[in-house]
Amino acid sequence: MEAGSSLLRAIDYSKCIGCETCEVVCGFIHELGPFIKLYELGGGVKKPISCFHCSKAPCIEACPTGAMRKDQYGAVYVEPSKCIGCMACLYACPFGIPELSEVTKTSTKCDLCRDLRREGLTPACVAMCPTRAIILGPPRAIGDEVKRRALTKIVYLGELK
Amino acid sequence: MKFAFLCRERPGAAKQRVAVIGSGPAGLSATGYLVCRGYEVDVYDKLPIPGGMMTFAIPKYRIPLDSIMEGVDELKSKFSVQFNLATKVICGERHDEGDELATNTVDLLKLVEGYDAVLISTGTWRSRRLGVPGDDAKNVMSALEFLLNLHMVDLGLRKSHIGSFKKVVVVGGGLSAIDAAEESVLRGAQEVYLVYRRTIKEAPAGEYEVRRLMRMGVNWIELAAPKSIVVENGSARGIVFQRMKLGEPDETGRPRPVPIPGSEFTIEADTVIAAIGEIPTPPIASECGDLAKYVGKDGRISVDKNYRISGRNIFAAGDVVTGPSKIGNAVGQGLRAAKEIDKFLSARILAAVPR
Ligand SMILES: Cc1cc2nc3c(=O)[nH]c(=O)nc-3n(C[C@H](O)[C@H](O)[C@H](O)COP(=O)(O)OP(=O)(O)OC[C@H]3O[C@@H](n4cnc5c(N)ncnc54)[C@H](O)[C@@H]3O)c2cc1C
Repeated sequence: MEAGSSLLRAIDYSKCIGCETCEVVCGFIHELGPFIKLYELGGGVKKPISCFHCSKAPCIEACPTGAMRKDQYGAVYVEPSKCIGCMACLYACPFGIPELSEVTKTSTKCDLCRDLRREGLTPACVAMCPTRAIILGPPRAIGDEVKRRALTKIVYLGELK
Repeated sequence: MKFAFLCRERPGAAKQRVAVIGSGPAGLSATGYLVCRGYEVDVYDKLPIPGGMMTFAIPKYRIPLDSIMEGVDELKSKFSVQFNLATKVICGERHDEGDELATNTVDLLKLVEGYDAVLISTGTWRSRRLGVPGDDAKNVMSALEFLLNLHMVDLGLRKSHIGSFKKVVVVGGGLSAIDAAEESVLRGAQEVYLVYRRTIKEAPAGEYEVRRLMRMGVNWIELAAPKSIVVENGSARGIVFQRMKLGEPDETGRPRPVPIPGSEFTIEADTVIAAIGEIPTPPIASECGDLAKYVGKDGRISVDKNYRISGRNIFAAGDVVTGPSKIGNAVGQGLRAAKEIDKFLSARILAAVPR
């Protein structure tokens, strides 16, 4: 992945079976994690949610110390040495994503596995999702994939089976 | 599933050798972690394709085979993991479901001796039986047997050994029951019943899944449990059920189903599927030195908090330790056990260095 080209992660909730692999692998590699979490919505339906890495991230706007940042791929992350744990980012986030770590007393959230990406690897939740419900790539490629998947639900392909 | 998600290549030459027994999500995740820590890993599985329940029980419309195989192929090609398939590992003798597909047998104790460490991740490959008269009729089967057969046929590995299924009765309320009932509908059964002894609110698969199946045309009957199977010439023709009512909470905290006397009714069936739970199947079926004492009454292997049989080079992870769970739990168990294996084997190297 070239620097400067941004990354978009999308979760295809029609493919997700709620198996919890994303949450488990995230928690395994992040001491303060997991940063993708499943919630039960009733009737046994469980789905994951994580940071959307907004292009115009309100959490970055709201952060008074410049701790909330964006890397060159557009991943929003916390620089802990600058964070005062005020959680203005949580108030600003429309999805309630940032969490206060009881250990570091700073805001914590998904950084799309910066450490793994530095080594040319894929974020853990994307790499390990059994159903390929979690996808990551340049926004255009993700947009294409989402639309391609939508088409497979509309167009009859039975003859090919 | 990129099981080796923590590295691009093996760091340096292989240091020590680990055998992983069972290539479900637990075993494969452990393998991915271990190759990234520089170990040489050999995987053993009794089935002809890796992936465990993900490959042979869960329907392909939920988990595509290539998602699993992509990660398996990478383990083989990039990390030289050797897959010994159709190879059952056991100490003693016991027949579990799917064993008929194994063409080799390897003694567990040989692996324990031959490798620096062994991970047991053999899952839950035995099903609870209905335990009512007639449950040994030839068209009475477990959800696992039913689904395994469908997968085998789809994968081109064998011809179906299950006759036509037009009127299917599935007993149970968990994920296996849902899958067996849904597959029956999708594959053209004319009538499918899903019968559960508690109510939709208690069904382990969740109310949403049950309602989704009802919309597909599955007949949901709650508060009923099988009492006997109607058998003619060795084949089941129907099931006699008895109505239940909910009583006091049992050990699991759910209300206990209590039979209502005189409430029996019969449903006709040409296929009866018992989906009332699977049982752990560790590769230990005799005394095996002193290993038998680590297998509980419920079949689960008991390990210490480090996933280890204390004092031994044997570790265990996944559903064989926890009982039936979910893929996420099995993956987490595999990863954490692999981390402990790494700690154990690194400490052994350090201890061997003369001071
Ligand atoms: C029908 C069904 C539907 C399910 N649906 C879901 C779902 O939607 N979402 C979800 O999260 N979970 C689901 N589960 C549960 C999930 O599949 C399991 O929790 C998970 O696969 C357990 O992983 P494991 O690695 O511990 O064991 P397994 O996946 O069972 O793998 C064990 C492996 O060990 C091998 N093995 C066993 N004994 C031996 C032996 N003696 N020698 C050599 N090899 C051996 C087996 O062949 C198998 O490959 C479902 C389970 C079933 C049965």
